[in-house]
Amino acid sequence: MHRFLIKTILFALMSFVLILAVALIPGYMVNKFSKFSIKKNSTIALFGHSHSECAYNDTLIANFTNLSHSAESYFYTFQKVKKYLEQNPQVTTVLIEFSNNQIDNKMDDWTWGYTYMSNMFPQYASFMSFADMELLAKHNSKYFMNCIGIAARTNLIKTLSFNYDYTGKTGGYFKIDSSKHLPAGNPVNENARTSPNKNRISTTNLQYLRKIVDHCNNMHKHVFLIRSPQHPLYEFRNNEAEFSLIRERYFGDVKFLDFNNFPIKNDEFADFGHLNFKGALKFSAYINQRIINGMLNTGNTASIDQAANKAGN
Amino acid sequence: MLFNSFGFGIFLIVVFVLYWFVFNRKLQQQNLLLMTASYFFYACWDWRFLFLLIFSTLLDYFTGLKMFQAKTQGLKTFWLWLSISINLGFLGVFKYYNFFASSLSALGADFGIHLSPFTLNVILPVGISFYTFHGLSYVIDVYKNRIKAERNFIDYSLFVSFFPLLVAGPIERATHLLPQVKTQRKFDYQEAINGLRQILWGLFKKAVIADQCADYANMIFANSSQFSGSTLVLGAVFFAFQIYCDFSGYSDMALGIAKLFGFELLRNFAFPYFSRDMAEFWRRWHISLSSWFRDYLYIPLGGSKTGTWLKVRNTLIIFLVSGFWHGANWTFIIWGLLNALFILPSILLKTNRNHLEIVAKGKAMPTPVEFMQMTLTFLQVVFAWIFFRADSVTQAFKYIGRIFSRSLFSIPQLDVNRAQLLEVIILIICFIIVEWQGRENQYAIEKLTWLRRRGYRLTFYYTLVVVIFLFTGKEQQFIYFQF
Repeated sequence: MHRFLIKTILFALMSFVLILAVALIPGYMVNKFSKFSIKKNSTIALFGHSHSECAYNDTLIANFTNLSHSAESYFYTFQKVKKYLEQNPQVTTVLIEFSNNQIDNKMDDWTWGYTYMSNMFPQYASFMSFADMELLAKHNSKYFMNCIGIAARTNLIKTLSFNYDYTGKTGGYFKIDSSKHLPAGNPVNENARTSPNKNRISTTNLQYLRKIVDHCNNMHKHVFLIRSPQHPLYEFRNNEAEFSLIRERYFGDVKFLDFNNFPIKNDEFADFGHLNFKGALKFSAYINQRIINGMLNTGNTASIDQAANKAGN
Repeated sequence: MLFNSFGFGIFLIVVFVLYWFVFNRKLQQQNLLLMTASYFFYACWDWRFLFLLIFSTLLDYFTGLKMFQAKTQGLKTFWLWLSISINLGFLGVFKYYNFFASSLSALGADFGIHLSPFTLNVILPVGISFYTFHGLSYVIDVYKNRIKAERNFIDYSLFVSFFPLLVAGPIERATHLLPQVKTQRKFDYQEAINGLRQILWGLFKKAVIADQCADYANMIFANSSQFSGSTLVLGAVFFAFQIYCDFSGYSDMALGIAKLFGFELLRNFAFPYFSRDMAEFWRRWHISLSSWFRDYLYIPLGGSKTGTWLKVRNTLIIFLVSGFWHGANWTFIIWGLLNALFILPSILLKTNRNHLEIVAKGKAMPTPVEFMQMTLTFLQVVFAWIFFRADSVTQAFKYIGRIFSRSLFSIPQLDVNRAQLLEVIILIICFIIVEWQGRENQYAIEKLTWLRRRGYRLTFYYTLVVVIFLFTGKEQQFIYFQF
């Protein structure tokens, strides 16, 4: 029995060491050699989820790179922002999409739900701190262990193929050709939820948005929160009062560029939350003009909605 | 609590330590510990069904005793049929009631009769088909005087509920396992190491091959109307490897775990995809179930020592019942029927016992003829698996219809990461090579005679560990748990 125990424990220990090596060494290599480059003339970088991914056609906006990615919570955006800013000193301005569904607790699922975590975690695991990993492990310990294996495999393949280039794999403008027939109805009541409720809000997502803002400030970048157009019937608009309160209370120090009510016709939406290519064309041309006119220099947001309305008319 | 979960690992270590270090003095203490652990293991799935397991155990325990004490044959037969009726009654209610009710309703609709059957909103108790068959084998063996009725309830209960085999077999026989339960077990170093090795191989089969193949098989079967014939063939092949590695992987882990506690369970798989005809395949696939049906159904019906038509009848019955055992769906029944049709020619021509030894025994490679025979058998098996995997008979026929179209000769198209697909295909090829090399053993890596040096063997084991770590994705339920 003693021989069995000693041999089994030795085998288990050796296996553990090997697993650690397989997980850590490629992870270290990816962290060290990863390449997150954007065009040299791009001074403005936009991060966010699918709303901004579909709204900003960056070929139409000067010196602008859209790095938004569908279903990306701020937890993963934070990892991305760190690497892009570190490797692209030409970026002077960071825009972060901040819209109504990003305060919702479904963002928790986007962070540690298995489907999302197994997609995003392997991509960014090498750049995470221990505290980041601890957060995921705390909320979904069962599947976190599985995702560690997937991340190790991803990093091992990157290392073996010397492919450390993340360029083009972390998001970008996504063109939607179709436009669905959007049903008519009454606009969503924006005052349906007035006071913030912990159970409905993803505090983790908001904490990581704060981390992104603080990181940008530490890197001496101009940071803006930006909201792309949403259809009046978009369901998440019902938390508008709650959203405004949170924004003012926790992100009052960050300039907010609000294009929520930018006039977009029904056939320019792909669905209530996303613009199709026609909507993106119209909106991107407008944003380009506003940037040329100095929108990001002045940070004069008060007149944005009015100007947007004029542009639409 | 899946065998390939972290929780089960902890459970196993705790039970192992208690078994060999705390309760190692008395056999009864060890059996009581294993019985308690087994009930705990089962309760982790759904504690409510623990009562069903205990009731089933008590029923067979008492009917076994009553049969043994019965003074007349009539009374003995009465207790036997009482046990069979109640056992099959439970199985019928939990597993088949809704199927019969909805089939009756559909039949009525065909004749213009509207029936609104009462359906039960119950979930299938995990492992019910397996422990019911354990119990049935016991009462039938007691009835046939093959074994004495067990008086010790703990021993009997452990035979039914021993946790490695409780939820997905192998389906044990009282004549094989009960004597082991009643014998003092001694720790055997070689057997324990052998057990760990078998667990490792089972884990690899399940976590790496089966779960990776499952992703592709599920995707192709779920969207079968969108894929070309060649892609659908690929989907069916992926499923063939998924189900084999899933179930035989589970069985390997069960056998390995049992070895750690000094038990030798029945072998369940013997490299079935290297079979040269369907008869050989069925001698190598889910052996414990096939032999159960052979001993308790086929032979009592007359087996193959009867006239031609009775042979045909008996073969059809055994395969239809086997299909139905797997699940309450016409797809399983047709799967059983197809297998019967595939095997019947060899039974009628008396060639069904042509291949009793493993293929190319003592040789490195099969002959071209053997290779052709294996390929043809594999294709037959894959064809039948389409019915097994499909959600409905209609889907299965549509799937097959699309396979036999012009697109069968196109290059398979899958909208997936090609590198990942390639990784899985390479893994399957490596797996087949290892299985081929080890086909003369109880399981593929039992001896690893092709790796002569100890260092090579250790490297192989560590490679398996690392590959398991790298490829373990989301835990997928074992397919046979649903049966």
